[in-house]
Amino acid sequence: MRYLIEPFGSPFMQRALAEALLLGAVAAVVSVFVVLRRLAFVSDVLTHTVFPGVVIGFVVAGTGGIVWGALVFAVLSAVLITVLAARSRVTEDASMAIVLTGFFAVGVVLVSRQTSFTSDLTAFLFGRILTVDRQQLVMTAVLGAAVLLLLGLLGKELLFRAFDPAGAEARGYRVLVLDLVLNLAVALVVVAAVRAVGTVLVIALLVVPGAAGRLLSDRLAGIALVAVGTALLAGWLGLVASWQASVNHELRLASGATVVLVLVLLYGAAAGIAALRKVRT
Amino acid sequence: MSEPLLVFDHASLAYGRTTAVEDVHGAVLSGQSVALIGPNGAGKSTLLRSVLGLVDVVAGRIEVLGTTPVRARREVAYVPQVDTLDAQFPVSVRQVVLMGRYRDVGWLRRPSPRDRAIADEALDAVGLAARREDRFGMLSGGQQQRVLLARAIAQQPRLLLLDEPFNGVDAVSQQALLAALRRLRDGGAAVVVSTHDLALAHLACDEVCLLNKHQVAFGPTDETLTPHLLRAAYGGQALELAGDNVIVAR
Amino acid sequence: MGLRGVAVAVAAGAIALLACAPGGGEQRPDSGAALDVVATTPVLADFVRNVGGDRVHLVQILKPGVDPHDYEASPADIQAIADADLVVENGVGLEAAWLDDTVAAADYHGQVVDGSRGVTILAGTGEESRDPHIWHDPANARIMVGDIAAALAAKDPAGTAGAERNAAGYDAKLAALDVENKAAIGTIPATQRKLVTNHDAFGYYCARYGITFVGSIIPSFDTSAELSGNEVSDLVAEIRRTGVRAVFSESSLPPKTAETVAREAGVQVVEGEDTLYADGLGPVGSPGGTYLSAERHNTATIVKALGGRV
Repeated sequence: MRYLIEPFGSPFMQRALAEALLLGAVAAVVSVFVVLRRLAFVSDVLTHTVFPGVVIGFVVAGTGGIVWGALVFAVLSAVLITVLAARSRVTEDASMAIVLTGFFAVGVVLVSRQTSFTSDLTAFLFGRILTVDRQQLVMTAVLGAAVLLLLGLLGKELLFRAFDPAGAEARGYRVLVLDLVLNLAVALVVVAAVRAVGTVLVIALLVVPGAAGRLLSDRLAGIALVAVGTALLAGWLGLVASWQASVNHELRLASGATVVLVLVLLYGAAAGIAALRKVRT
Repeated sequence: MSEPLLVFDHASLAYGRTTAVEDVHGAVLSGQSVALIGPNGAGKSTLLRSVLGLVDVVAGRIEVLGTTPVRARREVAYVPQVDTLDAQFPVSVRQVVLMGRYRDVGWLRRPSPRDRAIADEALDAVGLAARREDRFGMLSGGQQQRVLLARAIAQQPRLLLLDEPFNGVDAVSQQALLAALRRLRDGGAAVVVSTHDLALAHLACDEVCLLNKHQVAFGPTDETLTPHLLRAAYGGQALELAGDNVIVAR
Repeated sequence: MGLRGVAVAVAAGAIALLACAPGGGEQRPDSGAALDVVATTPVLADFVRNVGGDRVHLVQILKPGVDPHDYEASPADIQAIADADLVVENGVGLEAAWLDDTVAAADYHGQVVDGSRGVTILAGTGEESRDPHIWHDPANARIMVGDIAAALAAKDPAGTAGAERNAAGYDAKLAALDVENKAAIGTIPATQRKLVTNHDAFGYYCARYGITFVGSIIPSFDTSAELSGNEVSDLVAEIRRTGVRAVFSESSLPPKTAETVAREAGVQVVEGEDTLYADGLGPVGSPGGTYLSAERHNTATIVKALGGRV
């Protein structure tokens, strides 16, 4: 037990933990919807389209500008994706893939024009959770609160649309607007995650918790509970593993990536439990 | 008193540039039920959606509950086909029926105890109160259809639109559906139900609207479900048997 | 109901977390030695060891072969800085991409010794204004050692005498290295004193010993940029034009591009065991394990490849 607590004696580890837990919990709630609406690919597209915003924000206003650049592109992307998905039913995958790669390439090109950029690039892609400061924590909390508020207020309508889009439309709900809201929620999580786990790894937080929850529960509340629990556990254990490996075994395990790895392992455990249940019934 | 809850006044419906259904003309009165009959692709779903204000009316007019389809939406309930839904979705039967109350609950608010009571009553009306906590997808097709009807009932509508609710539905569920529909009509609501089942139409509906991209006929069931008119609607797909019996292919 | 409850619990937990998350400094444990010093680069670490000796408990952040321009600090690194009495950096922007954030995260408010204080900084060839690879000129190394000795003495007055003695001894060795280098490079035919390296790390070395820097595979002081097609052919043309005999790869970068350019230009590529130590040192016990041995290795390799006598 001491093994699991001792990493968090220092402030930087405490901040990293706070960030991981905050981000994980919010992303987990969103991931429930992502899984129910089968938005994993759309979410992946959003992680790539936010990236050029990160770069532009950095170029214009330094590290402080990252979140604002990301925010602008998050909103733009959410709108673009929603419109694209509504229009092209058959070739939805293709047009999304084009948007994904196009935006991401723009970001990479912009980055490559800066000479001293690789370490910042890897920071944007994979995060630097150990150097999260108080200000970033507050930003994560604010964005997280906005997301939870959005989902909380519109939860029942989002559920209705997810379950029965035709019925929702017949009832007079604008499916396009509801979809935009959800895509925006995903995009905001990506923005919140940029500094901590980066745009490449955040997709794991947006998909795996919900997927694990779906494996273990048939009720919405149950799924959400498992999702949040999994994300919190992964954040905690991932940081423990990364710290213990570094401090006691001189083994480098990038912290953000280790959290994601633990998350995936937990999913594996959930799959195992689900399979056992099936066998026993 | 029998007031017209739904009026088609030589209405033609189109998706963008393509006209889907032409010249629909007739009325559905309070307490009445009308069967919408025609081959696949005849425009039955389109007609139902136009009553909801989701399809453009390019000629003539549709009047719902004395006003436009969009304005009347609050009191119009739509029951889609069950197979459009994801059977794995993690909602309970009760939660599905409660969805019928959402519009009345409004944005940003939660369903009240009264809403839940209405939902439970509606579920009772289709005979599935016992399955309340089960996951929706665990029910049979017919039972799921009844749940969707309950959802519509929970809306407390004055006009009810059903899209082929009897497809592949077992006898028990069919009876339950018919019973619930009858109770709604007794309460003054009007019902429009699209179906392929001619026997059912004879049994449960006062009037029939025969469609095949245009209106073939709209009148009392006995007068409309004649071999002659059915052949006109179904083309070569109607087969006449002895006497007045006609089988139609889908 | 359920979903909302979960969301509320999450929100409550988040608020609680935020309230508890600390902003700043706590107490540091002690290693037992008189001074806990953290040095960023292997070269600096070597200097600190030589000057501080037993009185210093040293943690070296960048291990051999690791790129100093682009580094993600590990928990152990941050912990070490948090516990340190003194942090020593190279300065001139070498660690700019990561050190400030790391020091902030560690809540370290002590002194960060700038090893480049007093060193004349050379301007760059590319867009960057200041070349950080100051240590390849032994004269600069002597200044850096002086800075370190002063800082150690200030922090640990009881060890001043020892530090000064060590520094003086090491300074003599650096002076000797400088003389050796001059002599060795003197044996290279004058027309051959031209250098093409993997990245632009030898500016100070070339300036000190009168070597012409023809160009580098990566046209910048740090390791992030890539040569465009034009730049590669320009470099190859330049190599042919100036008659440079060899292209040198280095220990912390993959040799592929250097090999390619050398092949195109028809000249030798110096790699493998003969790789230059450009951004740091080699593992302990290897030819590049200490500053002195690494610099000697660099000079010997360059001189041999360019036709001098070693």
